[in-house]
Amino acid sequence: MFGSEFPSPVFRSIERSRHRGTGLDIRFEQAEARFEGRTVLHPLTLSLGERRIGVIGLNGSGKTTFARMINGLVVPAAGRVTVNGFDTAKDGDKVRAEAGFIFQNPQNQIILPILKEDIALGLKGRKLSKQETEAAVEAVLSRFGIAHLADRRAHELSGGELQLAALASVLVTEPNILIMDEPTNQLDLKNRDLVERTIRDLDENVIVISHDLSLVADFDRVLLFHEGRLAADGVPQEVIARYREIAA
Amino acid sequence: MSTRDLVLAALFAAIIVALGLVPPIMLGFIPVPITAQSLGVMLAGVILGAKRGGFAVLLVLLLVAIGLPVLSGGRGGLATFVSPTAGYLVGWLFAAYVTGYLSERFVDRSQSSIVQIAGFFLAALAGGVVVDHALGVAYLAWGTGTGLMTAFVGDLAFIPGDVLKALIAAFAGRAVMIGYPLLPQRA
Amino acid sequence: MKTLYVEGDTFLHRLSPRVKLVALALSSLLLFLTDSPLLLAAAAVCGGCIYASLGLGWRQSLLRLRPILLTIAIVAIFTLVLNSPGQALTVLLRLTALALLAAAVTATTSTGDFIDEITLAARPLERIGLVRAADLGLSIGLVVRFVPEVLTRYHAIRDAHHARGLKPRPLTLAVPLIILTLRNADEIAAAIDARGIRAQK
Repeated sequence: MFGSEFPSPVFRSIERSRHRGTGLDIRFEQAEARFEGRTVLHPLTLSLGERRIGVIGLNGSGKTTFARMINGLVVPAAGRVTVNGFDTAKDGDKVRAEAGFIFQNPQNQIILPILKEDIALGLKGRKLSKQETEAAVEAVLSRFGIAHLADRRAHELSGGELQLAALASVLVTEPNILIMDEPTNQLDLKNRDLVERTIRDLDENVIVISHDLSLVADFDRVLLFHEGRLAADGVPQEVIARYREIAA
Repeated sequence: MSTRDLVLAALFAAIIVALGLVPPIMLGFIPVPITAQSLGVMLAGVILGAKRGGFAVLLVLLLVAIGLPVLSGGRGGLATFVSPTAGYLVGWLFAAYVTGYLSERFVDRSQSSIVQIAGFFLAALAGGVVVDHALGVAYLAWGTGTGLMTAFVGDLAFIPGDVLKALIAAFAGRAVMIGYPLLPQRA
Repeated sequence: MKTLYVEGDTFLHRLSPRVKLVALALSSLLLFLTDSPLLLAAAAVCGGCIYASLGLGWRQSLLRLRPILLTIAIVAIFTLVLNSPGQALTVLLRLTALALLAAAVTATTSTGDFIDEITLAARPLERIGLVRAADLGLSIGLVVRFVPEVLTRYHAIRDAHHARGLKPRPLTLAVPLIILTLRNADEIAAAIDARGIRAQK
């Protein structure tokens, strides 16, 4: 459906084309997730195509499992999940090239000591020249305003800077979709605002799990999970209202 | 090796390196300072098992080889692999593997705490004391040319400290197994 | 993390890492096989000259070698007392020569070069299924990345002890340090897999 196995290995300039925000086709077909014999997500059937989708729910509601089923980190015990035509169970690598994932803890995503080396890691299989790699890394760091941190050591950076670096490390390979699992949860207020603003400015398709309801309040669609089931699905205001009912 | 196992081993290697930066302690009755790093090697075995524990120690040895001063006292580089104590250093690899193998084989969560601690203690002794010291003495005797008897006698001073470490490793291993079980190795 | 590599442009710096490592391995083998005091003395002098040629200066040079020279001296004295002067001399010369040569290689080869050599050397082992060559470089990077975090955590745990008026003990320090550190493994591994870093390309 989308042709290439991996996004093209050409680095983009900071100007980004608008086409990035369309062409999302995620399907859950009676997909169910189990963990150690327990059903964590009951059979779910739905389609996702909106540009900005929020996912909310109490802890343990199944929202994280849901997100991880989209990029194939969790494989369905029954049913299937497809992303732009690729089956997450059979073509996990291709799915993960289409969908980048940002995790909660900023410290756990930058895995090499020096920032620019970590960002470059994602480009390793592309057979780019040294200059092309350096240019791509600089471009993506500049996009998030952290090019000046390229030579710094990861452990010297703040939580907010690390989350932006994580975004850079994932987006350097230009996936179509970006899934974020509570990206601002572990940040202090200042860093939270910084990352929130950055997320708003992204033109990729985003699926964001968040306890911070203000982050998803103006999204195109919000899903509410409760006890492993989809409890509400629609416009943010209605779904958030339903969430408050459940949480009360 | 699964990514999770690789990360567990790498994080434990980081712990072993960090333990090298902790100052050694002197216990009155033991004539040599007790460094925490070889304790880390025993812990790698009892907590991660043979394969992951062995890989963690391999990573530490690789760090030393590539010129990072990660051994206690800021030592590192290829010279440490020809030093008289090189046998003990390389012996860590086998120590972690043996300790790990015995821990996986003989200790499990269904046993009483006494049995678990005893099991880990014996595993840590077998690896960290018997195997490591055997290799240490072997290199000392043969490699440096001091002869078996001399090397053996020189080694004796370090045994009480390492037995104590094996005991600490056993208690710590059990506590970690309760708080964050990693054995048996799940895929 | 500071490395033992010293930037420079000496003859040894310009020599390829592989040549240096092979030469070191061969000389080590030879030095272990010979007992002749003359040969060993020559090797020690040679090693000393090579090491001196690096231009590290007296203080740096001695600092780097002090622990190992100390250990060699102790072993040599033991051998002198318990065996014979001849054997003690052999031990002293052999180990000193080896230490000087090895330290010279370490000082003139960058960690990046070492990692490249290790990765290349590991390729044949891939076929036996023992280890994946690319994993070694990644794992080494992971360790160096997280050592500072572990240290920060260690200090925090120790400070928490002090704050409670507890004396820090090996057990009460080690257990929380290990659990808190290893607990991150799942998320770190998920992040690595999500980026497809270990995927066969």
